[in-house]
Formats: sequence, C-alpha cells, structure tokens
Amino acid sequence: MALKALWRRTTRVDRALVLALALLSGFSLWVVVDREPGGQVVIYRGEEVAYVGPLSHDRLLNIHGPLGDTRVEIEAGRVRVLRSPCPRKICISLGQVWKSGDLLACVPNRVVVRIEGEEGRGYDLLSR
Amino acid sequence: MLNRPLSLLLVIGLGLLLLWSQRDRAASEVTRTALIMGTLVEIKAVGSDENKLEDAINNAFDVMRRVEAEFSPQVPNSAIARLNQTAETSEIPSSVRDLVELGEQVRLESNGAFSMALGGVKELWAIETENPQVPTREQLEAVLPPLDSPALLLDGLIARRSSTLVRLDLGGIAKGYAVDRALEQLRDRGLRSASVNAGGDIGVLGGHAERPWRIGIQHPRKQGELLATLEARDQAIVTSGDYERYFERDGRRYHHIFDPRSGQPASGCQSVSVVAPSAALADALATAVFVLGPEAGMRLLEQRSEAEGLIVAANGEAIVSSGLKERLQWR
Repeated sequence: MALKALWRRTTRVDRALVLALALLSGFSLWVVVDREPGGQVVIYRGEEVAYVGPLSHDRLLNIHGPLGDTRVEIEAGRVRVLRSPCPRKICISLGQVWKSGDLLACVPNRVVVRIEGEEGRGYDLLSR
Repeated sequence: MLNRPLSLLLVIGLGLLLLWSQRDRAASEVTRTALIMGTLVEIKAVGSDENKLEDAINNAFDVMRRVEAEFSPQVPNSAIARLNQTAETSEIPSSVRDLVELGEQVRLESNGAFSMALGGVKELWAIETENPQVPTREQLEAVLPPLDSPALLLDGLIARRSSTLVRLDLGGIAKGYAVDRALEQLRDRGLRSASVNAGGDIGVLGGHAERPWRIGIQHPRKQGELLATLEARDQAIVTSGDYERYFERDGRRYHHIFDPRSGQPASGCQSVSVVAPSAALADALATAVFVLGPEAGMRLLEQRSEAEGLIVAANGEAIVSSGLKERLQWR
C-alpha cells in the first residue's frame, strides 16, 4: 500500500529514468556473462601481430617467417596449420585448436596462433 | 521531479547493480607470448594496473632471454658453449654453478638417470632436425660419457668437463630454471598472481586472483585431450613426454629423452608430470623419473618430500605419488 502511494508520486520522467537504468544494468550484465568462448584468432609473427580476426570467419592465411610461409587455415570455427617450412612439422601435428587460450606455434618459423575470448577450457594452463 | 523517495531509492539501487556487474573488471589478466629457448613462452599476470603488468611481463621475458644466452650450447659465447669447446678450465657465472649443482644432486639421487652431459648423443640422433637418424650401438658408445662421473668438475666458479666425452646440454633443467627466474622477476616487480608456461614447463606465483591456478595435464596419447587437472599456488609443474619431439622409423617411435646408460630413448613411460617448489627441480626430476621408469621413478619421487608426480607407464597405466592422489581430478 505504501509502495503504491509512493509509485503514484513519481512522474513520467522518473519512470523513464528508472527504466533506462534498468535496461543499462541488464545490458552490462549480459555483456559480462554471455560472451561466446574462443571468439578471436590472433596470429603473431615474432613479436608482431600479423592477423586478428573472428574464429567464425573462414580464411586461409600465409604467414611469412624467417624460414618461409606457414599456412594457417580457419574453417568451421577451428584453426590448424596446414603447411610450414620447419624441419619437424610439430606445428602441423598439433592439429586443430578452437578454445579460448589454445595455442599453436611454429617455433622455428616464429609463428604463433592464439585463440582469444572468454575462458572456455576449464583450465588456465596446459602442462605437456 | 527527481526528489521522489521511490525514484531515488530505485536510481541508487540500479546504479549499485550497474557497478556490481562491472566488478570482475577491477582485476585484469594480461597474457603475452614470446619465442625463447626454442619454445613458446606464455606469461599471464593478474592485477588491477595493466601498465604495471605489461612492464613486469616484458622484464620477465628479458630475464628468460638472458638465461638462454647463458645456458644454451648453441649460443656461441655462452658459458656452456665455452666449456664444450675446451678441455681446460673456464670461469662460469654463479647461476651456472648453482644450476649444475642442482643437476648433479638429481644425477646422484637417480643413480645417473639424469644427465647434463648428453649433447653428443643428442647431436647424433638429430631428432629436432630435418634428418634424424637411428645411430648404431658403436656410434652411441663412441659418444656416451662415463655414467659415474659428474658432468663438470667444480672449484668455486672454476669449472671443466670431467671428460672429453661430456658435451654439456642442460636442456633437461635450464627451461625450468628460466621459468623460476621469470617468476622471481614478476614477484620482485610487486605481482602477486602470475604464471609462466615455457612449452609446458609451468611455474605459478600465488593463485589466479582469489582462486588457485587450474593446470591441465596433457593426455600422452590423445591429442587435444586432458589426462587430469589439478589446482596449484606457488608451485611448479613440469611434464616430460614422448609425444612432442620424436620421429618414427620402421613403425617405431624414437623420442628425445635419452637414457644415459645406453644413449637410446627411454622406454618405460609415456609421460611424467612432477609438481615441486621450483620448475628447475621439477624439470630435472621429470626427466630422471621418465628414464628410470614407473617403479624406480616413483621410489625417487617418494624420497623427496617436496616433490609429487604422476607417471603414465609405457602400457598406459597411471601411477600417482601419495601426496598428489587427492589433488588430481581425472578427465
């Protein structure tokens, strides 16, 4: 009853302000909580960023390093190294990555692929 | 028109809700990678001042590059390269002496399973080149250093190789040492929450903000899958495995962890993960345990109260040391 009386005392501007704040709070909560995991591919050539793009965007990329070109495929939300001039092809044998925090690297050719986004792996660090 | 009790209460309430929804952004995580010591190094730092975190990470990378310059046998003027080039004595930095002493301790405890003298064996196999080869027994015997001698004879900071067959290679311990030095740098810069991961050799400073760091252990036979996870604060975890650096010839896998007794890749384990207070110790123990195999390896671990381990034997059986059983979560 007291609340009804109080509510009757508010004006249209009061109610508009309250509604705007409620919507803004809800939106900021959604942005914090509901981001998709593993959303972005970042490729480094040495210390420089050579490519940044969404995981959802299929691409074939040639990243030029000291030994030649490392070919990186982004397809159906997953990333892998298709070809690389390194001697042991360890980067190719690592297969596909797609979860936030996952890494692929061709160390001899100085190419690093990283998946960035909200934490989605269930662990912070991988010991291997 | 704003002087309404209900409106005022609601505005304050919603404003607080807005601030509360932003609370996790008070602590940031900064992650940076670099290629050092022939591997991918990833440093994560958690804190509120991103500039401070970035500076600390860059300094930590610099420290690791200095470790590489000091310990790599491939760097022409490194202390290790100079020792390998001469049978005479040479002055070494205290950091090299300290690490060699730790390695020698593990060599003795493991009855020679850990060795810092196998550079000649490693060159013969050439596993990390385009042309790996399977050497003959005669070829291996020609480069195997004596088992019962230390790699280096030390007199303070003066050192020389104990035999011309010794080719120093600290690959089984130097990466862990670099991780420890990087963490030390991060701590000295005032950080309380950070991690250094050098190709799977991990050291963590504090926890991840208010919770422990969650460490995944790679399944040795299922790519992209975990064997187990554990939580850690202020510890190191190092895994040695036969699945990353290897080649196959005539249906047989030859990997990079050599048995100092034969010069052949050790065959008792698929992987060994060691948890210890320092990454250098964990690194050396992981190599020693891998070479020793599951039974003798577990005995070595149980002798050291500060170290724990998970061994995956050659047949896939997992064996866990007593202090680690409750901490592991199997996947």
